[in-house]
Amino acid sequence: MIEYKNVLTVCPYCGCGCNFYLQVLDGNLVGVLPSKTDITSQGKLCIKGWNASDFVDNKDRLTKPLIKKEGKLVEISWDKALDIIVNKFKEYSPDEIAVLSSAKCTNEENYLMMKFARSILKTNNVDHCARLCHASTVVGLGKTFGSGAMTNSIREFENADCIFIIGSNTTEQHPLISRYVLRAKEKGARLIIADPRRIPLTRFADCHLRQRPGTDVALLNGMMNIILNEKIEDKNFIQNYTENFEELKAIVKKYTPHVVEKITGIPDNLLIKAARMYAEANSASLIYSMGITQHTTGVDNVVSCANLAMLTGNVGRESTGVNPLRGQNNVQGACDMGALPNVYSGYQSVSDENIKTKFEKAWNTELSVTPGLTIVEMLNQAETGNIKAMYIMGENPMLSDPDINHVEKSLKKLEFLVVQDIFLTETAQLADMVLPATSYAEKDGTFTATDRRVQRVRKAIEPIGNSKPDWQIICELAEKMGSDEFKYASPSKIMDEIAMVTPIYQGIDYNRIEDIGLQWPCLSKEHTGTPYLHKDKFSRGKGKFFGIEFKDAVELPDNEFPFVLTTGRTIFHYHTGTMTRRTASLNREVPEGYAEMNHKDAERLNISNGEKIYVSSRRGKIEVDVHVGEIVPEGIIFIPFHFSESPANMLTNPAFDPVAKIPELKVCAVKVEKIKI
Amino acid sequence: MIKKVQKLAREYFQSGKVEIIYGLKKHNNKVVPSVFNKEDELKDLVISAKEPLLNICRPSKKNIIRLIEEKYPEAKIGMVVRGCDERILIELSKRKQIKLDNIELIGVACNKEDAIACNCPKPYPVHLDIGTKVDGVIEDKKNKELLNKKLSERLSFWQYQFSKCIKCYGCRNACPLCFCKDCAMEQQEWTKTGEIPPEIPMFHFIRFYHLADRCIDCGECEAACPVDIPLLTISKQIRNDIKDLFDYESGLDAEQESPLLTSLDEVPMKEGESK
Repeated sequence: MIEYKNVLTVCPYCGCGCNFYLQVLDGNLVGVLPSKTDITSQGKLCIKGWNASDFVDNKDRLTKPLIKKEGKLVEISWDKALDIIVNKFKEYSPDEIAVLSSAKCTNEENYLMMKFARSILKTNNVDHCARLCHASTVVGLGKTFGSGAMTNSIREFENADCIFIIGSNTTEQHPLISRYVLRAKEKGARLIIADPRRIPLTRFADCHLRQRPGTDVALLNGMMNIILNEKIEDKNFIQNYTENFEELKAIVKKYTPHVVEKITGIPDNLLIKAARMYAEANSASLIYSMGITQHTTGVDNVVSCANLAMLTGNVGRESTGVNPLRGQNNVQGACDMGALPNVYSGYQSVSDENIKTKFEKAWNTELSVTPGLTIVEMLNQAETGNIKAMYIMGENPMLSDPDINHVEKSLKKLEFLVVQDIFLTETAQLADMVLPATSYAEKDGTFTATDRRVQRVRKAIEPIGNSKPDWQIICELAEKMGSDEFKYASPSKIMDEIAMVTPIYQGIDYNRIEDIGLQWPCLSKEHTGTPYLHKDKFSRGKGKFFGIEFKDAVELPDNEFPFVLTTGRTIFHYHTGTMTRRTASLNREVPEGYAEMNHKDAERLNISNGEKIYVSSRRGKIEVDVHVGEIVPEGIIFIPFHFSESPANMLTNPAFDPVAKIPELKVCAVKVEKIKI
Repeated sequence: MIKKVQKLAREYFQSGKVEIIYGLKKHNNKVVPSVFNKEDELKDLVISAKEPLLNICRPSKKNIIRLIEEKYPEAKIGMVVRGCDERILIELSKRKQIKLDNIELIGVACNKEDAIACNCPKPYPVHLDIGTKVDGVIEDKKNKELLNKKLSERLSFWQYQFSKCIKCYGCRNACPLCFCKDCAMEQQEWTKTGEIPPEIPMFHFIRFYHLADRCIDCGECEAACPVDIPLLTISKQIRNDIKDLFDYESGLDAEQESPLLTSLDEVPMKEGESK
């Protein structure tokens, strides 16, 4: 009997949510086959998707639990490992322990992780890497629109008349979304790009605005100033669907094109052109990503995007909206599931007594109304000794978080660190206990794509070695902690519980998403999901304008550190590289880290293409290859953060947004030195 | 028509002619390639023009049939093939990528509608069991339009098309005949790695030329392109050129050598054999 299956599942990389088949011959993964009927990918994939089966059975996979003995990680049985963890966890009070959930894991696993933190460890100290990417979106779109998610659907971009992309390198970070941007362009749409770098899409742009990093509020205020000045705002929309317009008007009045040119460096005529293009379109889609969110003014930036869309009536219709592109395969889901310190699943506030009572009943336990700590705060408190133990699932803060010298110091200070992952990451190396989890290919569950589409992830092969799916590990731990509330026959049953306590997921069950995913809010078993939000009225009732003043980034270049460092990713790798750097086809393309530098700067410093340079900030120093060219303008250095040998986050600034607590990963001051031989 | 295919497949099983049938299967409203081990599984066997049957799996760079042949050298395999599948098998066999000895074909003709949708020049296999031959689509409208334009316009058209490329390698990965162990598209010597768009036109033309005597026009490359580059327009043109220059067509006969495989002493080389 020859067993050959094609198992339909969701790509484990970015938030596009492309479906593909994992090809399995006699229980072995042999390849990836695109799905021509998939709604987003339509049978096409990016290079990471095509190679998404490669890392699964890599020789480096963790296959047994490990415990640290005399500074070395040695093998231990599952039973003993879990017993030790349970005994240790019981030693700490709720304020002394913190949990990091994972945007790589399924919805079911994130739900269980936050349930574990809240109902077993009795702490709201649960967060995940959304803090580092779209925390400002959740806050910013929450207060303006009432819902912090991408408003429209991926496929709708194709039919927009104008697409305005600010702070998203869509081609490299969301390749299958850039497909629909290009298709729109080929149908005649106008394309505006605001990005300091000459990213691949700028080649097709009608307008490329190269703002000085960190000046987005001024840029957006400037566009609104022009729109109001030329009276091309949508008066009807403002009057009927929004509030607090006068506050906005008073503030943006000051941001004339001339003033904005001084702040951003964008020529006034170019800004006028862009503003007209956006405002005069019938349906304009705004796309943004980390270039907007990863600033100390992240929330201000997001609110300004929302302001612009409301001013021109570009919300609540097809092919319009404010569209934050979520980075990870399931970062949307991890947020939806309440792996955040202040909300339960479905963004239900932990401080709300009624909500608390509801979850206490559902989980048969007592819960706390005090919001917990965010990632950056957890690490700070670990350093001061207030947080003594951490349980980290599928995250690698040792490479992903700002100022990793500080991260390392903090994690080393912990009395007890448990890391659950598929590889021995830089973070896992610091752990007292390492638990081997399974990859996406070895488990069932759901991921929620950036456009709120909840899709099935399907088990294709048996777990590698003695690894276990994260949901199973959490359930076993909970049981050993004495709970009866973590008995699930399968992930499908976990989803049934999620639907029961989470209004926006209420209509979702595995039967309904067998064929095609559903987009939340999905409010009942009859509800067919929501392709775009805020139709007829905003989630919060009326859309609310906020007048926002421009504030500079916290750390600006000076004589000692004359360059601005901005960080990001490339199409060939993913985040901290744990999966992509173990994939031959991807490593062949980009085997090591690099720094982009403008050729004029290079000439001035007598640096030539390909040589090694030092880049240093107030927090650290790295050695890295330089790519000299015209992608970055003068005065800016760009470094992708995937590479542990030249970690960009050794340099970045942990200063964070006061509300969203997102660090300023996109701007810090650095200096560049030639390495003298 | 599918009933007839299922019936013939059943007969193949009953007569002991084959131990497994390889074909397309309908599962949860999706159509995927599949192995049928028993007669009663054949109820899910379907025919469809859209889905590929013989994709090359990566990283092994072998298709499922080859992987099965390697693991089960004695297995007698029945295959439900369309015109394109048959031509792929012929080319694979010619290049020592697959053994046809243990393969029994069930040849199925595609209908006119599918032929037009696929822009297929020959929508039926030579070994035809079920269905009737319909004419293929010979003229490539897109290409004809382009050929009427000035050279400079054609150049800028293609420059624009290739500038959209995001280097997913989908055109190569989806190609049932791109099986080379070391792919020139990946090599720094031919085209700079780690850049998008990749060098124009080198990156794409490595593939076009490498497939010049191989491509059987199945269209999977173009279907896999995330940025809608009309790749087939060029490969169809190259197929025409090969026909005009050498009176050679790929996918017709497993015994026929490619005119591009010659050595200096003009004794034809055989691919897969060192000389």
